[in-house]
Amino acid sequence: MTMKKFINKPDNLTAELLEGYCSAFSNKVQLVSDKIVMRLKAKDKKKVALLTLGGAGHEPALSGFVGEGMLDASVVGDIFAAPGAPKVIEAMRLLKRDAGILFVVLNHAGDVMSGNMAMEMAQQEGIKVKMILTHEDIAPGADSPIENRRGLAGCIPLYKVAGAAAEAGKSLDEVYTIAEKFNNNMATLAVALKPATHPQSGQEIFTLADDEMEIGMGQHGEAGTGRSKMLSADETAVKMATQLILAVKAKKGDKIHLMINGAGATTQMEMFIVYRAAKKYIQGLGIKVVHSLVGEYLTVQEMGGFQMFVAKLDDELLKLMYAPADAPYWTVR
Amino acid sequence: MSDNVDYDGVVRMLKTAAEKIKANRDYLSKLDSATGDGDHGTAVFKVAEAIIGVIAKDNSKNLKKLLKDIGWAAMSTDAGSTSPLYGSFFMGMSEAIADNALLDCKTFVSMMEAGVAKLRKNTKAEIGGKTMIDTLVPAMAALRAAADSGKNLGQTLADGADAAAKGAESTKEMKATFGRAKNIGERSIGHVDPGATSMSFLFIGMKEGYQNG
Repeated sequence: MTMKKFINKPDNLTAELLEGYCSAFSNKVQLVSDKIVMRLKAKDKKKVALLTLGGAGHEPALSGFVGEGMLDASVVGDIFAAPGAPKVIEAMRLLKRDAGILFVVLNHAGDVMSGNMAMEMAQQEGIKVKMILTHEDIAPGADSPIENRRGLAGCIPLYKVAGAAAEAGKSLDEVYTIAEKFNNNMATLAVALKPATHPQSGQEIFTLADDEMEIGMGQHGEAGTGRSKMLSADETAVKMATQLILAVKAKKGDKIHLMINGAGATTQMEMFIVYRAAKKYIQGLGIKVVHSLVGEYLTVQEMGGFQMFVAKLDDELLKLMYAPADAPYWTVR
Repeated sequence: MSDNVDYDGVVRMLKTAAEKIKANRDYLSKLDSATGDGDHGTAVFKVAEAIIGVIAKDNSKNLKKLLKDIGWAAMSTDAGSTSPLYGSFFMGMSEAIADNALLDCKTFVSMMEAGVAKLRKNTKAEIGGKTMIDTLVPAMAALRAAADSGKNLGQTLADGADAAAKGAESTKEMKATFGRAKNIGERSIGHVDPGATSMSFLFIGMKEGYQNG
């Protein structure tokens, strides 16, 4: 089937989407130097800044979370492709401050390469920055080496807790420690039903039979571990929640954050049905679901499926989750 | 032809290589659609355009500066992992040479080795992983062996290009363990890796550019 999307020239996709996004939310964000989405009102220079990078095509991620209490800037690449290190160092120069910068990178080859290279340049220029790598995908196994585990939608609640810590005036080391605590207590599992089309090449990024689903699929069609016949919402939810709870080693009395992140073509209706089943299962273990998100945060074009995310929260993290934020796609008052 | 190569010589080599990659855009994307997401031709096309763009604007006649600028421009292309890999390759070459360098065969090979060393800092891929490393390792070994045995630069580049082409072809029977192609595991066998192929075009193009100089 030929690709059916409302686009213009494939080469201009990222530029046009950033133009539209930043003008739609012109009261909150601005576009700087073509590829850097920054807060409209800059944060106090005495506070730690939060920076991230990543490819486009996953809207509203990642730039949807630039705003007060979350990211200070996001550097955007091309569709599913990381931005180059020169743009990242440019953003670092814009955010440079004595308080320092926390730089959040999702574990994908191109992102990590650009991130490492920008870190090397930052060091040469005397920019104070610490990098944190998210790698919470448990599809290859919760114990498999970090380089095999991708960074999925978990970066978004991580921006929230780290952003709130930065806003509270904590030092770079303190913000880093909080972010790392969250990072080490989170896990994501994705399930795919229907492929997405790469909006530049027009090709489907993977194939699945009509009656199949795949647990563990990455956000660019990377193969998962469990291709199976379609299961019901409840069966799927319980299967995924079981693995996630094991991965974060949550036990009776623990508090967790539960997120259902739609991949693009899965309806809000389905997401609520899945959420309900996952929550029931988790609460049945005596674990409290104390914070929830259900919706589209990090999408993969029109892919069918969702990511289920859990994170263990202590009182400090829970408080940060509820702290005020004012990003286009995450607001807490 | 003298056996030393200067700014103009390297420019000719890189231009020919970049044109070769540009001309193969569709072929490389087609290779990629068998194992990846079908955009490698576009990605490496952007890098080739960056090389040509920097050369067109540069009037420094300083090879060290030119290579650094090419590295920076390649890194800025937002072409996924292709940008940092090619970018660091050129940056590493620049770091290894002096301002206004005139290169003999051995210093040319040393410069290339420094580029590859910097590139490899970005990836854990090893030989056999069905990546550009399968082109680079044999090509560099051939360059080094030819230079050490006293061959002139033309013969050395020819040996490197032959080894690069064979290295790229060797990926056909490999199972991908790196990059996006690893997603399809066993199904990647039987397809030549697009990243290994574009890298072989770089070596072949450099040889052709030198010969036609």
